[in-house]
Amino acid sequence: MGISRRKFVVRTLLGGTGVMLGAAYLGRNSIRRSIYDLMDDPNMLSYMGDTSNPLMWFEISNDNRVVLHSPKVEMGQGSFTSMVQMAAEELEMDISQISIVHAETSTGNIDGMSTGGSTTIAGFWQPLRELSATMREMLKSEGAKKLGVDVSTVTVAKGTISGGGKTLTYGEIVDGVANWEIPETPALKEPKDFKFIGQPVPRVDLIDKVIGTPMFGMDATMPGMLYGAIVRPDRIGAKYKSSDISKAQGMPGVVKIVQESDFVGVVANSMVEAENAKKAIKAEWQIDRKWQTSDIEAAIKVGKGESMIIQKEGDAGGVLKDDQEGVITAEYKSPIGAHAQLEPNGALAYVEADKATIMMSTQVIQLTRSEVAKRVGLDEEKVNLVPTYLGGGFGRRLHTPNAVQAAVLSKAVGKPVKCYFNRKEEFQQDTFRPPTHHQLKGKLDGNGMIEAIEHSFASGDVMFNSAMVPAIAGTILGADIGATRGGRIQYGAIPNHRAVSWHVSLPFATSWWRSLGLLANTFAIESFMDELAIQASKDPIQFRLDHIQDDEAGRRLKTVIEKARDLADYQDTANGNKAMGFACSTDAGTPCAHVAEVTVEGKEIKVNKVTCTIDPGYAVNPDQVKAQSEGCIIMGISASMFERMFVDDNQLRPTIYGPYKMALMKDAPKEINVEIINGTGKPGAVGEPPLGPIGAAIANAVFRITGQRLRDMPLTLA
Amino acid sequence: MISFTINGKAQMVDVEGDTPLLWVIRDLLDMKGTKFGCGKAACGACTIHVDGEAVRSCSYAVKYAEGKSITTIEGLGTADNPHPVQQAWIDEVVPQCGYCQPGFMMATAALLNKNPNPTDEDIDKNIINVCRCGTYYRMRKAIKKAAEINASTTTNS
Amino acid sequence: MKKTLFLAISVCIMLASISLVTARYSPNEDLPPEVTKESSEVTSTEEESEIAFNKMMDVLTHQRCMNCHPSDNVPKQGEDSHPHRFDITRVNSMNATNCNTCHQASNNDYSGVPGAPEWSLAPEKMYWEGLSRIEIAQSMMNPENNGSRTPEDVMHHLTEHELVLWAWEPGVDAEGIPRELPPVPVDEYIEAVKTWIELGAVIPTE
Repeated sequence: MGISRRKFVVRTLLGGTGVMLGAAYLGRNSIRRSIYDLMDDPNMLSYMGDTSNPLMWFEISNDNRVVLHSPKVEMGQGSFTSMVQMAAEELEMDISQISIVHAETSTGNIDGMSTGGSTTIAGFWQPLRELSATMREMLKSEGAKKLGVDVSTVTVAKGTISGGGKTLTYGEIVDGVANWEIPETPALKEPKDFKFIGQPVPRVDLIDKVIGTPMFGMDATMPGMLYGAIVRPDRIGAKYKSSDISKAQGMPGVVKIVQESDFVGVVANSMVEAENAKKAIKAEWQIDRKWQTSDIEAAIKVGKGESMIIQKEGDAGGVLKDDQEGVITAEYKSPIGAHAQLEPNGALAYVEADKATIMMSTQVIQLTRSEVAKRVGLDEEKVNLVPTYLGGGFGRRLHTPNAVQAAVLSKAVGKPVKCYFNRKEEFQQDTFRPPTHHQLKGKLDGNGMIEAIEHSFASGDVMFNSAMVPAIAGTILGADIGATRGGRIQYGAIPNHRAVSWHVSLPFATSWWRSLGLLANTFAIESFMDELAIQASKDPIQFRLDHIQDDEAGRRLKTVIEKARDLADYQDTANGNKAMGFACSTDAGTPCAHVAEVTVEGKEIKVNKVTCTIDPGYAVNPDQVKAQSEGCIIMGISASMFERMFVDDNQLRPTIYGPYKMALMKDAPKEINVEIINGTGKPGAVGEPPLGPIGAAIANAVFRITGQRLRDMPLTLA
Repeated sequence: MISFTINGKAQMVDVEGDTPLLWVIRDLLDMKGTKFGCGKAACGACTIHVDGEAVRSCSYAVKYAEGKSITTIEGLGTADNPHPVQQAWIDEVVPQCGYCQPGFMMATAALLNKNPNPTDEDIDKNIINVCRCGTYYRMRKAIKKAAEINASTTTNS
Repeated sequence: MKKTLFLAISVCIMLASISLVTARYSPNEDLPPEVTKESSEVTSTEEESEIAFNKMMDVLTHQRCMNCHPSDNVPKQGEDSHPHRFDITRVNSMNATNCNTCHQASNNDYSGVPGAPEWSLAPEKMYWEGLSRIEIAQSMMNPENNGSRTPEDVMHHLTEHELVLWAWEPGVDAEGIPRELPPVPVDEYIEAVKTWIELGAVIPTE
């Protein structure tokens, strides 16, 4: 391999953050806040992995096909398709000539962080196009040699290089090339020349997903594979002590029962036999205390735990003192939410004497590999993690102790072992969306403009409970940047505004859930904005526009708001039992606005139509931006209207779909109209921002129909 | 031994009669298109056809398949010759993560067999599987599209 | 042929193979006299009938039976008789997604889905939900509602039909927890039904 003359920057979050955190450690609140701002910045969408060598990314076969090895995973968000579009563009190939697979860690092409946070396309925009263009130049250079012409004279089209009256395919060019020289990064195409980028290309995984091709973690197999099951506690805070395995031993199909210091599991010849034997194992758990929903609600309250002012302009505190006349207050709440992704968590592991292979759905490839390596006593490089398509991610697969457990079982029997959660375990061992409590305060001036507004909110862990982030981050940062997503006031023209985060760690795991704090924070703030607009007797949309500052972010937000208003032909008064509701948010730099058209019949709320405007900066694949927006809207309807986990005598319940009520076909709007605005020419976040406004948009419509202000999720009419 | 036909092929399996058909299909016969979602007949990811009827295979003891004809997503259609439901799913670009989709397509195919032109209410009452990505909006369009494809092929033949 | 429709028709035919109703069954006349329970040795026929009636009704009003005799076409589930999840209604019993999409001829211990032969809702006229014991019995014995069954047919149905007897073998729920049994053992219940029918199927007034 030739020597790289390019300057590619290799970054990892941990290294980078470490420096930032170190600098911040001794800082005052204002310094902490600026660190926090930095970490919450859309620029954090940058890709953090090695982009120095195109040969690690592209595999070119003699039949002239390119396989793109992706260190990011496809979990439904459609990023594989956009990645192929970007690659095809600069490689000068057709979409159909490129396939995309997940990069195994043995290729060395490893994401430094995770797939999540709506970062994939934004993060790849520059590096993947550069990698593709560089690969093209490398092919040109080798092609010119083989054609015996000067590289400056060759032309490139559809995966071929022509010069001197002859044409070679990329597949022919790569044949026999041992040493590649990596050139300077070539100039990238101008947007006006794009053939594939910006087009609604059908998903590249569409056919496989429609004909039932095995592609998910749970579909993985290896020769001689056995099945594992882990005994998991159904009580909060239960720590494994010991187990009686006498009844399970010798049950049909049982190969081995594995007792470790921290868990007990069984390996059997089939999934059914493993599950049956598991039920016969009697495990002892240490449980320190009993929790109920009321304990959790009491813990998550503004004023409890650690606090940090995450936003401060003017003197909101002074204007909004409780004894001041005209201060309007309201409280909102959101419940514990489950991920409920359809493919359960698990892994297929094969641990041999000197190496290991793991096949699974994970959002944290590097972390999973490192955890497995540590537990089974191998160097990281000896563990090959083979990522598969994810049967839903939503943040659930950012924690993967399941891989470690499968590996331990495999090591114990010396064979490949596939080990999955059952659905009850999936619900009870989830890393839940934390419950939240919000206190809003506001004051109007004589002209019906907001003089001051404050959002104080309490949440359980989101980022703080993540193995991706050093444990000390919580102590240093003060605020959990996951919980605070969407927690700041986006109306910069309000002279006095403040946001305060309160944090408490709960006795069960709470963490990343698609859009993090955005869902609940936007529900609270945008409902309250509606309350203030009504108090001021103003049109709620104009009211918002009047409070947006005049900078780039403000202008982009204004544009999506105006567009949504016009497209939906927003009417501010109810028509019988029908009304419209409006809300908007900005998440990771992407502004988004929804108009929800709602009907109330009896106590039933129905969302008939949603108009959604979103400015992701630039849509690489407009159809998939629409698909993500539709999906966010429906998932948001589900979360804000139906979903709720309870803590009942120390158990998290329900434990099955149905009792854990979610949106079904009948609950999805029959019309969803998504309008994309390419506001910057550079792609930003898409997969989460449209989850923000939906809850408030529905609640605001319900208020216009019924006069009831619904301040708790799930929205329930009295 | 339990004998049945699966996707047109005769099959015999030597397995305990109460074993859920889902695991026979997935692990014994190694056809992974039928998905495990909950194992409680609640999510519908494991929906298949038994003698043309939609059945949730996680809750169907293999002994009941004796002598019956089973169709899974692999038998519904192929990449080159997709079933009208699959074609409609392709046309509307329905799947996101894709995990629940085979179950939805099997349920839809069963619905259209009985009801070639379902209303929105028919769709709501019959297609009660769970999709977490929220593809319901496109699925509804695809179900109607599949009904159209069916109608046009019937007219043409 | 649609399987469910076939089942529904076969149940109807079975119910229709019927003869007369005895003269003793006329709830609004011949009210039985109030019986005082002073002596258990000398039990009057009326008293014996009423004891049998109550025993039978203890079973029939249990959720194992009531859940599938809804008044609103919505099957109920569980010990708390909540509406069937996923908004299942009687419409589904004739549809592409129907009872047998999930319920088979026997309980499924893996999924916790209950099953028995002919798993289905009772016919619409046979709703019991919201009725008193006496009203349930009146409806059950009324040929207009019960598919023209004679008391003897009713007796056979109540004591021999597998779907009825499923109540004593109701299996486990989704979490593997055994479902609650009716409050009377099956043998006692069968004897009580037979006694009550043999003694004239007298429905008490209060």
